[in-house]
Amino acid sequence: MTGWVEAIIKIIEWPPLWQLVVLGLIAPLAVVIYILWFERKTAARVQRRIGPYHVSPRIAGGLQLLADLIRYSFQEVIIPKTVDKAAFISAPLIALILSILPVVAIPFTDVPKWFPLPMDYSLILALALVTLSPLFIIVAGWASNNKFAIIGGMREAYLIVSYEIIAILSFLAATAMTGTYNLVDIVHAQTGWKWFIVLNPLAFFTAFVGVLLSTSGFPFEIAESEHEVVAGAFTEYSGLMYGINMGAAYLKRMIYSLLLTVVFLGGWYPLKPGEGFIWGYLAPSIVIFIKATILMMIFSFFRAVYGRYRLDQAIEIAWKILFPLTVIAFGLGLLEAYYGII
Amino acid sequence: MPPRPVEKHVHPRGIFSRFKGNLEAIAIGVKYFFDPKRSTLIYPKEYIKLREGYRGFIVLVKNKCISCSSCARICPAAAMKMVKVPVTDPKTGKQRIKKFPVINYNRCIFCGYCVDVCPTEALYHVPYHDIVYESMEEAVTDLESFQKEPEYKTAKEGLPVRYIVDEVKGLVKIRVKKEGGEKK
Ligand code: SF4
Ligand code: SF4
Repeated sequence: MTGWVEAIIKIIEWPPLWQLVVLGLIAPLAVVIYILWFERKTAARVQRRIGPYHVSPRIAGGLQLLADLIRYSFQEVIIPKTVDKAAFISAPLIALILSILPVVAIPFTDVPKWFPLPMDYSLILALALVTLSPLFIIVAGWASNNKFAIIGGMREAYLIVSYEIIAILSFLAATAMTGTYNLVDIVHAQTGWKWFIVLNPLAFFTAFVGVLLSTSGFPFEIAESEHEVVAGAFTEYSGLMYGINMGAAYLKRMIYSLLLTVVFLGGWYPLKPGEGFIWGYLAPSIVIFIKATILMMIFSFFRAVYGRYRLDQAIEIAWKILFPLTVIAFGLGLLEAYYGII
Repeated sequence: MPPRPVEKHVHPRGIFSRFKGNLEAIAIGVKYFFDPKRSTLIYPKEYIKLREGYRGFIVLVKNKCISCSSCARICPAAAMKMVKVPVTDPKTGKQRIKKFPVINYNRCIFCGYCVDVCPTEALYHVPYHDIVYESMEEAVTDLESFQKEPEYKTAKEGLPVRYIVDEVKGLVKIRVKKEGGEKK
């Protein structure tokens, strides 16, 4: 009997599983539910409303999201006759899986025992995996066979072309500064409050805006712009499938926030990973999650402030302003490495 | 001649003025986040206390009515109707028929013409309008119920508030006392 329990604990503690299921799915999902509540509350606060309230007045409407979740789960999933069924059903699922997959390349500790993968090229791997999921949004739009969905998918394609290079290059500025693709080494280079957000704020800024662009957060919520293309590529989806689509975008933003935390916000510092499961793995990952949640809160705060850019404006911003800034940030990183500030 | 389309030129702003504009917008957002000026009315728990003179529900003072039918005639929604009631003449003591108005709140648009036109001020408004009837029949008053002020359930359960326009803050919700005066 005890053998079984031990075996199950071993399986759960197996880093790839633990990292993918607990740190990649369950914890981000909890954060995302909190963030959705926070987003609605903040937008309401700034716009002089109250937001969710009557569901549970004592905890400021906190149960509203749970109610929404239940509603989404029990709604009928309608699959129109005109869609390409296989692609229609599989696209959001693959997008969901791909948007949480990069978490296997993000280190939550520096104890090699708890790495799910060898960390030597983890930054490149994480960035490569992150850039896969938007393709399936285009697939979803194409499979829906609906003009709004196709326009939404096309907008997404335009945006991918614009933001990808910005996001990747500004993350790679960290590589320029440290000369390594190893995320653990990048975190180690940030000891003693030498966080890269302080050393290279420009790269953090461009990465931040790149993430906003890529996860269609305000003010770049263009591919799903409600007034113009209903729900963009997700127009034909209903019920749980729509929930998955929306959830995938938020999960992706969460994963990006984790990556931003590790690369620019000093990872698990000020905590130093110690011995054992609790201090070596759990505590550092909690620190990283707290930092990432604060980032997520800043992301969702923009919903309260901004309207929405037009597609051409967003692309213009990406190419005319952000791209040069990214190159400058990359150069700044190289300079700092040359003069040995890192 | 229809207007010709004119090509508009918007001068592109420089990078720094754009950054400045974004920062200002975010600063305003942060300001409101830490000092929210909410003005939502949490309705059943709060209600707007309206001032005297508001065109709410209408009450008849039967003694003042001279049965002129002006109110029924002017009503644009045909909500006011006259009903015949047998009365005893106080002078001669004879039985005769007199007409009094009754109102159908299914039709009334609360325009207040009937109150304004009444030559003897036999009709008046109460300053509230949020009353729910369970059926359409209930919303048609008879002579008895038309003479009583309808029960204002919201006031029993909720807190009275009032909206004022502040010079600095804009629309502001303030608490008021149930009876009369204002309190901050
Ligand atoms: S308030 Fe206007 S609509 Fe209502 S009964 Fe009087 S005249 Fe008719
Ligand atoms: S107008 Fe006034 S006096 Fe004339 S019938 Fe109506 S309530 Fe009576």
